[in-house]
Amino acid sequence: MRRKIWSNLPPFSPQAAVTDRLSIANVRGWRLREPSSGRRYTVLRLETRGGLVGYGEGGPASAAQIADAKAAATGRRPNETEFIRHRLAASPPMEAAVDCAFLDLLGKDTKTPVYQFLGGPTRFKARVLAHLEGRTEDELATPLRRAAGQGFKAFTVPIPARDSLWRMQAYVDAVRARVGRLRSLAGADMDFVLDAAGTLTPGDAALLATAFEKDHLMWLDEPTGVLTNDGLARIADESVLPLGMGRGVTDIATFQNLLRWGSVDLLRPSLGLNSISKIRRMAAIAETHYVAVAPYHDGGPIATAAGIHLAASLPNFFIQQIPFPASDRDAAMRAELTSGSLETAKDGFAPLRNRPGFGFNVDERALDRYSEETI
Amino acid sequence: MRRREMLGALAAAGALHASPRRKSGIGCGCAFAPASAIPPGSEVFKDVGSQLRITDMKVFGVTLDEKIARADRPYVFVKLETNQGVVGWGEATLEGKASAAMACVNDLRDFIVGSDPMQSEHLYQLMYIGSFYRGGPVLGSAISGIDQAIWDIRGKVLGRPVYELLGGPVDTQGVRGYYHAAAWTLEEARALRDQTKQAGVTALKFQLPDLLEWVETGRKLTRAVKHMEMLRNGLGPDIDFAVDFHARPSPTVAAIILREIEPFHLFFAEEICPPENMRAMQRAARKSTTPLATGERLIAGYGFSDLIDLGIVDVLQPDIAHVGGITALWKVAAAADAAGIRMAPHACEGPVGGIASLHVDAAIPNFLAQEICGLVEAGEMNRVWEDLMGFSAMRMVGGRYPLPAKPGLGFEVSEAALKKYPFQGTRPFPPAFHEDGSLASL
Repeated sequence: MRRKIWSNLPPFSPQAAVTDRLSIANVRGWRLREPSSGRRYTVLRLETRGGLVGYGEGGPASAAQIADAKAAATGRRPNETEFIRHRLAASPPMEAAVDCAFLDLLGKDTKTPVYQFLGGPTRFKARVLAHLEGRTEDELATPLRRAAGQGFKAFTVPIPARDSLWRMQAYVDAVRARVGRLRSLAGADMDFVLDAAGTLTPGDAALLATAFEKDHLMWLDEPTGVLTNDGLARIADESVLPLGMGRGVTDIATFQNLLRWGSVDLLRPSLGLNSISKIRRMAAIAETHYVAVAPYHDGGPIATAAGIHLAASLPNFFIQQIPFPASDRDAAMRAELTSGSLETAKDGFAPLRNRPGFGFNVDERALDRYSEETI
Repeated sequence: MRRREMLGALAAAGALHASPRRKSGIGCGCAFAPASAIPPGSEVFKDVGSQLRITDMKVFGVTLDEKIARADRPYVFVKLETNQGVVGWGEATLEGKASAAMACVNDLRDFIVGSDPMQSEHLYQLMYIGSFYRGGPVLGSAISGIDQAIWDIRGKVLGRPVYELLGGPVDTQGVRGYYHAAAWTLEEARALRDQTKQAGVTALKFQLPDLLEWVETGRKLTRAVKHMEMLRNGLGPDIDFAVDFHARPSPTVAAIILREIEPFHLFFAEEICPPENMRAMQRAARKSTTPLATGERLIAGYGFSDLIDLGIVDVLQPDIAHVGGITALWKVAAAADAAGIRMAPHACEGPVGGIASLHVDAAIPNFLAQEICGLVEAGEMNRVWEDLMGFSAMRMVGGRYPLPAKPGLGFEVSEAALKKYPFQGTRPFPPAFHEDGSLASL
């Protein structure tokens, strides 16, 4: 980390033309698909004129979006994350991917882990949440046992799909039976997030949230798709169960509105749809409302690793969601992309990687192998 | 093992976070970590932090000649030294409370010396939340000085100007600024217009002509309105001009003046009433279409939260030497950006804070203009800058401050030169009085 002190530059000067060794010369994109679950995400490879390579991941994107991201990034320097946040605002997966790759480049160029570049570490390990695949208790049982065996201590539990003919008391009983069964399978000292995936009405969500107040679940996630101020306020007003919101949100002001109305206890921006730079801005607003950030993630392992760096740069981070594949083929693919699995936990936490950039090697042959299309 | 020793041992093992079982009894519940655990909790980062360590912290009070600087605001500079030879500078100047700010910087010493300056966010939290008593201008200024110095070190070590660590530059042409100005007649205003245009400056800020009470007489209300009308007539339509109400009026009086000055299209009206009560300010703000600005006396992101949530003003003016340094100014800007509020950071102190502000300005998309308490003519201040930093006072070129180019904040302060301006103590902010002798808000 030793650097010389610069003395030959004038104190103030116009910015030099942006064609130095760090400006982006080549961009390549892979549209990836997991063989079993069909989960999709995009990986970008940015190369500078000086030959430095950074990788970034975003959510599923079209070939046209990748081409647009390439046009946006080319000729830019990796410090220009604010430019990218605006330039690619209409293309959230690519805004996330380019920003991620920029930070990887900045970290590698300064031989600094990204969390240090961003002002961290604020913590030495990051709490993680296994997102279990499966709709029924039987489907969830195997991945739950496996995730618990691999060091995870917090899990998402999807609520049973509900139709309006299902009486509410019977429905609450069914949810309670599911939580109870999974709790007993997981063992002592495990935590659960009840995932409603935006399917309930505000009234039903309020009732469900109230029914589970004394179960000490970590929170009720995405209770409703009715994103009106009054609908959300009703859930928050009637219950003390924390509410997580925002997996589909891509603009900061939407979160600001939720915070103003006091209807959110955890911001859940998706790593596939929001850059690290953007989530840091969301977190700065949440901080003044004493609200924590718990990024949602339904993408690949590169964004997971980036999310851990983000976590270690935020003061108000709580937990990072990690997809936990039910299929061995999907798990193998995720491990291959990063030259060995990074998505492990120890006693409920992921370690920080104190190496330049995001701190792992991307295997481009694996990217080619699992790519639907390379642009 | 006695309670104090047990807590000390746990802290030394980095295990205080594990909620050691509390012994029941009567007491304040305060746990005092011993000196061996300083900075508190730092051991837990040994595998994930950098090798850089802050080895010393120095505070300098700097009193300038009264001809060029008011006696209420000696500069307060903070210098941090590291184990790798890199040093960082920050500014904690606080009008009327220089000694308190200097003492408060020293109060934070145990949090800082021995720490890893790469952890700017963690150290900011340690100083703000770890201080127990949160906010306030004295703590805010002390945190600001240390935080700027930490970012200076971070930038130097990473080999980049600070704005490049914050996602910038948004605009490579530099940072738009405005100067302070005064004109009391139409002729003076016209002369000022010509001088301003010649200098390439695009915006100015003026004061109100009178002190104001919470209800006002017709004479003073008329003078306030006529003054701004005269300024618009004299300056012409091309120069943006702001008027600093300086918290003199009540919301009641501000509303009357704001109503009548709408046709003059001010750049913004600043601190239209005292800053503590946001909802009171909102009473006047609701009635006006003139852009309103406030924020120089507010501390940390928390100090701005209501103001942003209630949508009271159009422009925020945190001061990088009070709000909590680069960390806090950037956070306020991020919250303001999402709410469609612009940033015109306040800066009425010294050169270090002024330059630090430019770095944040250059990295935020909702930036409007940077205040520097200079006039269109630089005058004597050039000599002080030359002395302290080896270059003349920063001046706008074509209405903008060129971006600093060097890594970190982009300068070194000469410790030897500081000795030429020894600290002479501090004077209070000079008070002002109404005609009946009651205290006025100046």
